[in-house]
Amino acid sequence: MPRPTSRVPEPAKRDQGPDQGILARATGARVWKDHSLLLWAHFLVPPVLAALVVAATFATPLLAAILAAAVLGIAAFSARGLLTRLSGAEESRLALNSQLIQSQKLAAIGELSAGIAHEINNPIAIIAQEAEWAAHLVAEAEKAPGADFVEVKDSLREIRSQVDRCKNITHKLLDFARKREPVLQEVDVARLIDDMARLVDKEASYKNVTLVRTLPQDLPSLRTDAPLLRQVVLNLMTNALHAVDTGGRIEASARADDQALEININDNGSGILPENMDKIFNPFFTTKAPGQGTGLGLSLCHTLVTGMGGTIQVDSAQGQGTTFTVRLPRRPGSKP
Amino acid sequence: MDIRILLVDDEVDFVETMVKRFGIRKMPLDSAKSGQEALDEMAVREYDVVILDVRMPGMDGLETLKQIRERWPLTEVIMLTGHASLEAGMQGMNLGAYDYVLKPTDFDDLLDKVRKAFERKQLNAKAHKQGA
Ligand SMILES: Nc1ncnc2c1ncn2[C@@H]1O[C@H](COP(=O)(O)OP(=O)(O)OP(=O)(O)O)[C@@H](O)[C@H]1O
Ligand SMILES: [Mg+2]
Repeated sequence: MPRPTSRVPEPAKRDQGPDQGILARATGARVWKDHSLLLWAHFLVPPVLAALVVAATFATPLLAAILAAAVLGIAAFSARGLLTRLSGAEESRLALNSQLIQSQKLAAIGELSAGIAHEINNPIAIIAQEAEWAAHLVAEAEKAPGADFVEVKDSLREIRSQVDRCKNITHKLLDFARKREPVLQEVDVARLIDDMARLVDKEASYKNVTLVRTLPQDLPSLRTDAPLLRQVVLNLMTNALHAVDTGGRIEASARADDQALEININDNGSGILPENMDKIFNPFFTTKAPGQGTGLGLSLCHTLVTGMGGTIQVDSAQGQGTTFTVRLPRRPGSKP
Repeated sequence: MDIRILLVDDEVDFVETMVKRFGIRKMPLDSAKSGQEALDEMAVREYDVVILDVRMPGMDGLETLKQIRERWPLTEVIMLTGHASLEAGMQGMNLGAYDYVLKPTDFDDLLDKVRKAFERKQLNAKAHKQGA
């Protein structure tokens, strides 16, 4: 099931007033500046026919019946069209809404967490320094005969490792909140994906997981922000690696059409529970054990991809696997 | 325009080889043996691209990377990672590294990435000037 927030609905034609735009979309009629003929026809033809039916009733009943049937047919046909278009419009409005909400939510959380991360960074640095100093003092004192500080040293080591953990979190938070103006340069996406895959290969081999690359030779290059795209690809690959069992399979592939370059990261891992599908892009949402995941990976991906003018979607079947699809527009500013 | 490159690595042999190989291409390369030395060096001279080993004694590569990105946000950093450590690679990218290169290093690959990093730095500098 594709994630609805990722679908970007077609914007209304700009040169139409809002009412005309709505009418045009609802009726399916194209309205050009003054040429709203089709629209008029759409509303005027049925009553005209109805009037003819009434007139014909007085002439011959047969003609009236045929005309009436035609009117009913046309009315039913256009009502059906109207309904599907209306529900389509409603769906895309909802999609646009939830995408907006997602972006706003991410921005707000970004600001908040940057503040917290900044505040916490200082005490963490002091704790780290003090732990180091204490370790030094212990090492000095240990030179005295008979002194044994094994436990003290253990607990100092523990402090260090917990401080590192905190630092990791605050770094991620700060990164998450960082405002990035994408810097566009010509990027060989196939190579970028292969590069990131090489970072994952080693860890994958420990799990006996194969990481397949399906990258067409003639994949066009893309004007995009290279380091941001690297972060996205690496995050998706790492998630896939965490989701698969020993002996699993991950496939990274890419293809291009006229509008967009598409990257797919597919795995045959655990899949995502249906009730979690709506939450996975939320910051701090994680199903990993405490200390294993911060739940910032996918929300970062969402922020980065949207910032690059692209979309990110997920397709998952529980117990069978997951595919993340990133689409990036080939011409900056156009639809992906 | 010359690319001002700083290589930060405690492995003397590797640094020497790199100085030679970049030298052959008429690309002068400065070097530093530790993170602290790199920061000191950068305080007196401007660099476009820093090639940074993530595994060094003393201040580790990631901490160095963080400080470089804070103090010289326009300077691009390429990480050198020993044995394809996913964790270090991930953290490095999160901290704003431009790219990474695996050791043992394929020189042409490194050269290519240095050029790309430099291109980005120039684009970024231009954007900053226009914004100001
Ligand atoms: N490929 C996947 N297969 C199954 N579940 C996934 C996959 N990718 C993401 N998820 C689910 O989405 C959640 C959120 O992912 P996200 O990357 O945001 O955070 P995380 O991986 O848990 O932690 P972090 O990335 O911060 O270390 C995961 O905890 C997992 O439940
Ligand atoms: Mg993750």
